[in-house]
Amino acid sequence: MNNDWALKVASLGKIHGITDLRALEDTGPDIGTAKSALTGSIVAAWDVGFEVAPGEALGVIGESGSGKSTVMRCIAGDQSSTAGEVYLRSVDNGRTNVLDLDPSSRRRLRVADLAVVYQDPAEGLRLNVTAGGNIAEALTAAGWRHFGRIRDRAAELLERTEVPLSRMDDLVGTFSGGMRQRVQLAKALANEPPVVLLDEPTTGLDASVAAGVLDLIRNLLEETGVAAVVVSHDFAVIEMLTTRCVVMNHGRIVEAGLTDRLLEDPHHPYSQRLVGAARA
Amino acid sequence: MSTHEHILSCRGLTKDFVLHTIDGRRVEALRGVDLDILPGEHVALAGSSGAGKSSLLKCIYRTYEPTSGSVVLRLRSGAEVDLPSLSDQEMAHLRGRDIGYVSQFLRAEPRRGPLDIVTRAGVSRGMDRATARDAAAVSLKRLNIEEKLWDVHASVLSGGEKQRINLAAGTISSPQLLLLDEPVSALDPANREAALELIGDLTSQGVAVLAVFHDIEAMERLASRIVLMRNGRVEMSGNPDLVLEVLTQGARV
Repeated sequence: MNNDWALKVASLGKIHGITDLRALEDTGPDIGTAKSALTGSIVAAWDVGFEVAPGEALGVIGESGSGKSTVMRCIAGDQSSTAGEVYLRSVDNGRTNVLDLDPSSRRRLRVADLAVVYQDPAEGLRLNVTAGGNIAEALTAAGWRHFGRIRDRAAELLERTEVPLSRMDDLVGTFSGGMRQRVQLAKALANEPPVVLLDEPTTGLDASVAAGVLDLIRNLLEETGVAAVVVSHDFAVIEMLTTRCVVMNHGRIVEAGLTDRLLEDPHHPYSQRLVGAARA
Repeated sequence: MSTHEHILSCRGLTKDFVLHTIDGRRVEALRGVDLDILPGEHVALAGSSGAGKSSLLKCIYRTYEPTSGSVVLRLRSGAEVDLPSLSDQEMAHLRGRDIGYVSQFLRAEPRRGPLDIVTRAGVSRGMDRATARDAAAVSLKRLNIEEKLWDVHASVLSGGEKQRINLAAGTISSPQLLLLDEPVSALDPANREAALELIGDLTSQGVAVLAVFHDIEAMERLASRIVLMRNGRVEMSGNPDLVLEVLTQGARV
């Protein structure tokens, strides 16, 4: 089962500014900054690696600016990376580093191999298009052509993410934040991708709405067997959704482990401060 | 079954916490624990608070990472594995299936009903949904959770109800080894009785149990052996009557 990964990330790195590796020496958790005094570059992420199995959810936790979202965006292809490798089992049986693919092949991965749920639904959805239309876009990108079948599938997905079908033909821009997030989830799952990346999926929602979206995500992860990466600064979200997680600080992973172990027995000084602050 | 076929064997188990937020202070929770448990044996951990009872359970389950020592568990397959040496993924996979852990509190399950929570626990351990649902219903009934509460969100239920749901979820499939950390602390006498009976039945089915109870009566009732801990070490281990006598007299060995 150790080789049974759906997503594998190795030595992933992103440097903003000039790519001078001397920046690695005066940045990171021990130095206490991601910005190199020597080169002026920002090491947003470096030497980040993990594997996620089908049906497993891995958490990435850290404060804002720790590099969590950079990692997610480099995997998703929203940002170019400076170094590293990303493999998807569904692409060439995991033998091709997808960071080496040309831009159009890379974009095509987002159709059915790798879905992303953003904190801001405006990034994952078109607000001036209906809920049904947004999902139809994902389906037509995957080759669906029959109008009736597309509508049926969109309705099925919206029902699954608990969006009232009476809103299917309303513009997403008229939806509340929680409802937009549910539409984004429906769209992300439209083509049953084996891997989904969730970036702060409940941040910014009212507590009660966030709890509902969290329940939904948890059910979807359990029921679909998808491999998930959950990026969050919120331990409650990480605890609820993941079995393992990594802690990031100033662009580097400082600790990895079982989620309950990281919460009850954090080792790295930064993890101890983070857990201590969350409990205060 | 041969008496040498231990379900669990701990040797030289230690746990140090290094508190970086307090100048790197070192706190020794376990200072070298040796412990063997046989199939169908119920071992109760006794000792004052801070003696290391919960730390021992958590080190075995890897909620704490042991500092040194071995924890060998015999799996259902017959294979023996050293839990601290497993990868996180391998350990996650054994949890619930070969090794169960029931804590005092229901963890992070705010918006599901009891039947759903217990059924999902079974499914996550490899039971099919229908079987898990039936087993969940039997267990909830046994623990006196009224049927009209089965689809009520657990977050609004009482502490005692949550604790029983937690116990039902933790025992839905029989693991090789069940770790119990004060599983009946919030229960009134009638419900406590039902919970203790359920735990006793698991032992008679061959499940090895390692438990922490705050009351001596539960230990007397269920334990086949009592292990007395003090200061992160096993101080004495043996027949419940003998150990309890030492405990109640406050005598020191």
